[in-house]
Amino acid sequence: MTSLRIFAVGGLISFRALFHWLSPSIYIPSLIVAPLFQILLFAYIGRSAGLASDEFYVVGNAIQYAAIPCLFAMTNIVGGEKFQQTLGAILVSPAPRLPLFFGRAVPVVVNGAFVAAVALLAGTIVLGVDIPASAAPSLAVVILVAAFSCTGLGLITAALALRIRETAVLTNVLFGFLLIFTGANIPLDDLPGWMQNVSDVLPFTHAIAAARELADGASLTSVLDLIGEELLIGLVFAFLGYWLLRFFELQGRRHSTLDRS
Amino acid sequence: MRTLRLLAVGWYFQFKAILRSPFEGLFQVIYPLFFATVAFLMFRAGTDQKTLLYASLGAAVMGMWSATSTTAAGAMQRERWHGTLEALVASPPHFSLILLPITLAMSTVGVYCLVATLLFGRFLFGIDLTFEHPLLFVLSIVGTVISFGALGFLFAVTFVRFRAAWALGNLFEYPVWLIGGFLVPLVLLPDWVRPISWALAPTWGMNAIRESSLGGTPLPDLAICLALGAAYLTIGILVLERVLTAARKRAALSLT
Amino acid sequence: MAVVEAIDLKRTYRTSTGTLRRKWKDVEAVRGVSFGIEKGELFGLLGPNGAGKTTTIKMLITLLIPTAGTARVLGYDVVKDAREVRKRIGYVFGGERGVYERLSGWDNLRYFAELYGVPPDQQKERIESLLELVGLKGREQERTEGYSRGMKQRLHVARGLLHDPPVIFLDEPTIGLDPVGARELRGTIASLVEAGKTVLLTTHYMFEADALCDRIAVINKGEIVAHGTPGDLKRGVAEGAVVEVEVFGLPDGTVERVRELGGVRSVSVEEREQAQVLIVQTGADVELTHAILGRLNGANVGRISRREPTLEDAYVALVSSEE
Repeated sequence: MTSLRIFAVGGLISFRALFHWLSPSIYIPSLIVAPLFQILLFAYIGRSAGLASDEFYVVGNAIQYAAIPCLFAMTNIVGGEKFQQTLGAILVSPAPRLPLFFGRAVPVVVNGAFVAAVALLAGTIVLGVDIPASAAPSLAVVILVAAFSCTGLGLITAALALRIRETAVLTNVLFGFLLIFTGANIPLDDLPGWMQNVSDVLPFTHAIAAARELADGASLTSVLDLIGEELLIGLVFAFLGYWLLRFFELQGRRHSTLDRS
Repeated sequence: MRTLRLLAVGWYFQFKAILRSPFEGLFQVIYPLFFATVAFLMFRAGTDQKTLLYASLGAAVMGMWSATSTTAAGAMQRERWHGTLEALVASPPHFSLILLPITLAMSTVGVYCLVATLLFGRFLFGIDLTFEHPLLFVLSIVGTVISFGALGFLFAVTFVRFRAAWALGNLFEYPVWLIGGFLVPLVLLPDWVRPISWALAPTWGMNAIRESSLGGTPLPDLAICLALGAAYLTIGILVLERVLTAARKRAALSLT
Repeated sequence: MAVVEAIDLKRTYRTSTGTLRRKWKDVEAVRGVSFGIEKGELFGLLGPNGAGKTTTIKMLITLLIPTAGTARVLGYDVVKDAREVRKRIGYVFGGERGVYERLSGWDNLRYFAELYGVPPDQQKERIESLLELVGLKGREQERTEGYSRGMKQRLHVARGLLHDPPVIFLDEPTIGLDPVGARELRGTIASLVEAGKTVLLTTHYMFEADALCDRIAVINKGEIVAHGTPGDLKRGVAEGAVVEVEVFGLPDGTVERVRELGGVRSVSVEEREQAQVLIVQTGADVELTHAILGRLNGANVGRISRREPTLEDAYVALVSSEE
């Protein structure tokens, strides 16, 4: 039961801490307006290149953009704690690590999914894309899984945040990779073989594929395998991130690198 | 003339300082390359075989704009964090002569972005570069850098009241890419967007650069680009007066 | 005509607390400060931290607009003719920030030399001689991010003197300098005044004001509480004596009880490591030592001394009498 409380309470506090940092004047331009423009940008480039449909780009970019809130928030929660010198205090506490770290991930996942959902809705309205309303619940599931999966990757960047200073560069670079490799803007079939291999192990690839099928009217059961793969990727990244966090934490204790100098 | 010398010296030292910052320097060049890659792959896979050079040029100017938009809005904030804003305001020259070199230095980083993108396209995607009017190509780049600097100046003075000025600056990255017609011919955009595109110096800078490479009449485009830059500068100077006076009243020039 | 004139300067700050429900509070940092500085004078603005020295000086160098009152430098109004003022003054603020960290000391000075309109053919020479003057010769090519606090301070001084201004404002310039460096800087300041420059110096070091300044204004809580030459200020307390009593564990109420004694001008307490020192300024012809000891309620007493008052005592009396 204690683990559950740590999970819930820790998560809630992190949520408030997260939104304290992300004030409306940053949130609205960066997480509401920007993704819509990314969607518009690529939809029009698609038209200019004569490649794929508007719907293709709306779904792809709405989900891909969730990388920003998921990666940045996760990284900053650790980076922020390090900055505020509270990280040491947390890690000294006897609280079991798993619920501690994962509790902090929950608000990030929810926020990421929210951003993607709003972007998807805005994109379909502005571009007049036809997505059946019946697909909404299934899409919500896929979006949540996508956010979860990317937050898993975020745990790894969060771990790296314990050791490197310029985390913004790292997360922006990852964002760029996700833009190219996940099929958000280029159909996977048009990518060379080696790139497709990389796509297969990154977050978002399967979720985007699933979402596109759902938008075309497929049923939830028909995309369960894709959702499953996305979940698996998320779990692998999450646990990798968890172990990395523990590793750096131990290292940090040994070499006193946990406080920002 | 003293003014030109002041601008040149200011630009030189500010540019030197920017280049020595890893985040502001190297990263500014690398980040747009991701978008360039997407653009190249999209155009290569698409059915409308506009020349890939069109895509390369568009992506290159996207990089140029990135270098300015993501940094210029926060120019005054940056100086305040360094503690140098007061020193700059307290010096004799009109503040516009001090701020313009700063935003010009930021937009000059865009040249690195442009070159990096063109080379990237050449060596990784085999996109050959042709220059129908080579001299005008160079002039167009210079003109674009100048007008981007002027637009950055306008951003810097307009957004200075916002604590998250940088977030607002970032907000203008995508829209200008889209509306400036870098990778999308303006005819594809809704009619009502067209006048907005025409009011943006980046649109004309892009045209000038594109036409000096692919063929066309770059000079009129370049002239309009510079004229718009001058307009932004004028508006910016007018706003600056009020901004600085307000800052001196509110004691907002330093962090303490 | 005075070179620097401050006429009833006032400056109020508005601070706010909270984000959703903002509460505004007005803080009066400067409450009607007036003084004049003549040509070639070294004028000291002396006061404790938070007294309003920096705010006053910022108004004079055009960085802050006064809430009320006027100020003029060389006849130019600091608000209306800010540019004219800026051309003719140099200022040294010091501190860790305020320089371009990624540039070298030399580059920093070159940049500001250009901003201050130093003729191009004179820049190199001027910068070199200034580097020599402040003792940074040999380190000027290094990036300032590697400078110590003292070195940055010296760079600030060099920068303030680049354009050879007739009027110079220094805000606590010796803070952060080691004793030797501080002494050198004081020597430099003195020689600047000898060369005909007008200098306004703020400090909270009494001995510094005493040693350097032609005239001093003591500022406390935004107001000038005394004004005159160091001699004038000392004379205010000169006919008198200072009794210092070292007490281990000052009992409550001692200060009030001692103050009640006839002939006492002021009482203050200074914390020194293990003990408190009770400093009592008295009139000249009274002998109060026994009476003071009597008010100590039998607390443990260490050294007792009686001495002549210094400027420091005058200062302490001025800034603590408000309490």
